[in-house]
Amino acid sequence: MMLLTHHPSSGLCLLTLLSPPLSSAASISPAEPISQAYSLALYMQKNTSALLRTYLQYQGSPFSDPGFSAPELQLSSLPPATAFFKTWHALDDGEWLSLAQRAFLALTQHLQLVEDDQSDLNPGSPILLAQLRAARLRAQGLLGNMAAIMTALGLPIPPEEDTLGLAAFGASAFERKCRGYVVTREYGHWTDRAVRDLALLKAKYSA
Amino acid sequence: MALFAIFQTTFFLTLLSLRTYQSEVLAERLPLTPVSLKVSTNSTRQSLHLQWTVHNLPYHQELKMVFQIQISRIETSNVIWVGNYSTTVKWNQVLHWSWESELPLECATHFVRIKSVVDDAKFPEPNFWSNWSSWEEVSVQDSTGQDILFVFPKDKLVEEGTNVTICYVSRNIQNNVSCYLEGKQIHGEQLDPHVTAFNLNSVPFIRNKGTNIYCEASQGNVSEGMKGIVLFVSKVLEEPKDFSCETEDFKTLHCTWDPGTDTALGWSKQPSQSYTLFESFSGEKKLCTHKNWCNWQITQDSQETYNFTLTAENYLRKRSVNILFNLTHRVYLMNPFSVNFENVNATNAIMTWKVHSMRNNFTYLCQIELHGEGKMMQYNVSIKVNGEYFLSELEPATEYMARVRCADASHFWKWSEWSGQNFTTLEAAPSEAPDVWRIVNLEPGNHTVTLFWKPLSKLHANGKILFYNVVVENLDKPSRSELHSIPAPANSTKLILDRCSYQICVTANNSVGASPASVIVISADPENKEVEEERIAGTEGGFSLSWKPQPGDVIGYVVDWCDHTQDVLGDFQWKNVGPNTTSTVISTDAFRPGVRYDFRIYGLSTKRIACLLEKKTGYSQELAPSDNPHVLVDTLTSHSFTLSWKDYSTESQPGFIQGYHVYLKSKARQCHPRFEKAVLSDGSECCKYKIDNPEEKALIVDNLKPESFYEFFITPFTSAGEGPSATFTKVTTPDEHSSMLIHILLPMVFCVLLIMVMCYLKSQWIKETCYPDIPDPYKSSILSLIKFKENPHLIIMNVSDCIPDAIEVVSKPEGTKIQFLGTRKSLTETELTKPNYLYLLPTEKNHSGPGPCICFENLTYNQAASDSGSCGHVPVSPKAPSMLGLMTSPENVLKALKNYINSLGEIPAGETSLNYVSQLASPMFGDKDSLPTNPVEPPHCSEYKMQMAVSLRLALPPPTENSSLSSITLLDPGEHYC
Repeated sequence: MMLLTHHPSSGLCLLTLLSPPLSSAASISPAEPISQAYSLALYMQKNTSALLRTYLQYQGSPFSDPGFSAPELQLSSLPPATAFFKTWHALDDGEWLSLAQRAFLALTQHLQLVEDDQSDLNPGSPILLAQLRAARLRAQGLLGNMAAIMTALGLPIPPEEDTLGLAAFGASAFERKCRGYVVTREYGHWTDRAVRDLALLKAKYSA
Repeated sequence: MALFAIFQTTFFLTLLSLRTYQSEVLAERLPLTPVSLKVSTNSTRQSLHLQWTVHNLPYHQELKMVFQIQISRIETSNVIWVGNYSTTVKWNQVLHWSWESELPLECATHFVRIKSVVDDAKFPEPNFWSNWSSWEEVSVQDSTGQDILFVFPKDKLVEEGTNVTICYVSRNIQNNVSCYLEGKQIHGEQLDPHVTAFNLNSVPFIRNKGTNIYCEASQGNVSEGMKGIVLFVSKVLEEPKDFSCETEDFKTLHCTWDPGTDTALGWSKQPSQSYTLFESFSGEKKLCTHKNWCNWQITQDSQETYNFTLTAENYLRKRSVNILFNLTHRVYLMNPFSVNFENVNATNAIMTWKVHSMRNNFTYLCQIELHGEGKMMQYNVSIKVNGEYFLSELEPATEYMARVRCADASHFWKWSEWSGQNFTTLEAAPSEAPDVWRIVNLEPGNHTVTLFWKPLSKLHANGKILFYNVVVENLDKPSRSELHSIPAPANSTKLILDRCSYQICVTANNSVGASPASVIVISADPENKEVEEERIAGTEGGFSLSWKPQPGDVIGYVVDWCDHTQDVLGDFQWKNVGPNTTSTVISTDAFRPGVRYDFRIYGLSTKRIACLLEKKTGYSQELAPSDNPHVLVDTLTSHSFTLSWKDYSTESQPGFIQGYHVYLKSKARQCHPRFEKAVLSDGSECCKYKIDNPEEKALIVDNLKPESFYEFFITPFTSAGEGPSATFTKVTTPDEHSSMLIHILLPMVFCVLLIMVMCYLKSQWIKETCYPDIPDPYKSSILSLIKFKENPHLIIMNVSDCIPDAIEVVSKPEGTKIQFLGTRKSLTETELTKPNYLYLLPTEKNHSGPGPCICFENLTYNQAASDSGSCGHVPVSPKAPSMLGLMTSPENVLKALKNYINSLGEIPAGETSLNYVSQLASPMFGDKDSLPTNPVEPPHCSEYKMQMAVSLRLALPPPTENSSLSSITLLDPGEHYC
């Protein structure tokens, strides 16, 4: 919540723009918000690798080393997108939508955190900061779209919560660099997953 | 215990009180042990903070004490530091002491203990150390959580060049941990199985975003995790340089300095260094907002002296500089204003300006710079408020730029900025006569004088020259002077004067007036006497000319020159030389290599009449000829040819032509006489002949071989070399006999033609002489006679009327064959045949038969041949020899034939032929009257033989050995004719 108060206008504006009115939501067909969400997720997917590449390039060795990868780095505050396929497949639409909703909520907050960190460390890198900002705004847009889908499907929207906690602000410089890496990486993973699942959902509800 | 302690304290206090009075011995045994030792840590500073108290101190007493502190790492026995701390201890005082660890405190547990001894003069020796306090364990518990690897210190800020120790703590000793600094592996020292420390000596500044140091834990090839730190290395803060303060209005002091390197670091780890200005007399302090300058408000008029301290500060260090100055010695004036020029004329002007007033009775030193004509003059002047300076010795009609700057005259600190303005002086009359020279061309009845003058230099023109006045005055006849006004920028004019002496005055005029006149005199006498032209050699720097002095008084010499090939007026130049000089060097950049220049040297008499003394011509640099002559080959014979290049001009060349090189190539290895061997640039050999006379433009190449191939190439040469290499021209000498043949054939052909023409003209005579017309019997006069007798059966002659002289019957024996038809048989072959001859002798001996006869061969009897029918005559195989004989009548002949045939018996008809020789054929030549002269033995016989070659269809038996050929002549089939 604290992070959102940093940039309340942009995030909330998008949410209100993209979220359909809740009152008349139940009667709206889910096909349109699914299609919108799918289009947005596809667009996001095109930029995720560029974001990760740009991010690593600014962090110095070992991050900027060619072929850098540290899959063991995780953030406890960020749900990993690497769930077992079988487990994931067993979920119904409401469950995965709820999980995805929670993940992208966490991602928007973490992207804001990374943006703040990088504006402090790399003030002279407008490209990276612009990409981080764009990713955050798109994630917020997708959140709104998913909320519309859930409304259309008559599913309850999970409440917005602070995923970061106070621990996020005591991190060292290196930990922040690692955190930014995990966030940009997981953003890509979650976007991939969203594209796949929304495609399935689109096929299901377009008929 | 407590009871014992109270007792002990009481005992010591009693002892102390006793010591004051009498006994010091007891005090030596006081065990003032440090108690309540507490150790806290500052992780960022990596320091241990100790605090303790000393029990048993006398009330309100101060004691000098020494504390010894021991610090162990990892375990108590591993003492890494021992040190003493001396201080004065008061009763009930809590003592503090800090120790900074080079190793991050998170890396290892530390242990601290302390003991003390009294070191006070009030307690003379010997003193005893107290017992050690118990070990205090210090550990910074940051390595918590689930992580298996930790790296310390986090986000440490250090200055460039310092030594830093880092460490990692690995939870699992099975893991293999590698650490890297900016991608390069570093090696450390293992403190215990879990902890390894790395000493980084003199860390460098890499970037203001910090230096990444990270460690990777792995088991086998599997990465277990990565942890790292960012070490923020700051550049060393520099002392501000060139710190100074000055005022331009006594209200504000403007202080500047060079800040040096910015020590700011990323992630807000360290901002840019701050600058603070402190003035010690007033005690005021100001935090400067700019990094290289600061303004200080002067509040007290009375303060003359200032002592400024500028302090630069960052998180790691402070650097200060100090200046002490008197305010009046640091006056930096604003630049002067209202710069103006008054009373500007041709050579002087007055410059005025104003200075911003500082204080009353202030004297200013001003500096004036005058720029004009590429020169700069500087003047200094001392003024009060309004400045004025008289600028003299200026050039007329010249633009000047004058500028001024000022400073405090009493205490010079610094010049102000410049203030400047441009001005232009007025024009004046030209100060010098134009340099005039002329070319005089003598024409019938008059002189054509072309006057040239050089434009006056800016220095002498004193303004813009508007026109030139040329005044022509006849010296021989009193007449009015002629004035020609020629507008500038013309530099020449042409005058046509009669054969009188003239004085010509030329002046240059600008808007103010005329220059002094330049005078030359044209003599009435022709001056262009014949003077030999001398060749001179120039250098790249020019031409060095010398001449014989003119007899008599001269006021000077003039050397003029122009390009040899170009129009005189185009490139005409001259130079004036003093009267005592008989040599000069003409040097100008206009001289081009390969161009010939003609020089004329004149002497100027006191009457200003010019007399041509010498002519010279030369090149500043001779070049090799640019082209080769066009060579013609003349009189080509089998032994020689002539080469000529008459059209080649030796004058218009880029050097004096000295001669020609003739190159000749031939198959013969030996060169001809006069030629010498030479090697061409392409390496081929040839013969070379050198012609030293440039006007010799022909060469006879002789001693050549007929029907031989020669190549030649001719190139001129100058002192710089020969002309461009070009292709050789090829010549082939003709055959020796062909010429002879031509000599013979041509007359012969002529003769034949002549004869033919003559023959044609005399054809009638020749015809009558050589072959007169054969009289036509039908047109004979006898016919008219007969006709006259009206005989209706007029027959001139019938064959049947012929009386044969003889008949020859040739009988071939059986089996006689002809070997081959169409091939000529030799006589020896024909002799093999044995013809049977039947001679029919003439019955009438006095028969007057024709002498020359025609053998009429009638081949009618050959039946086989009759089939061919290709001819009017029936062909009979010529192989069958005809019987030649004379018969008195055809009937007799036939009879005789019959008899003969019968006598032959079985001889087939086809193999027997009859040659019927008629005497009736008329002779071809000769007079018809001579026909019957010798009828019996005709001396020669023109045989009119109608011989018919037999076609191959005539199946003839091949000749055998015994065959006899009776043919006299055998013809080829192609040779037959009808």
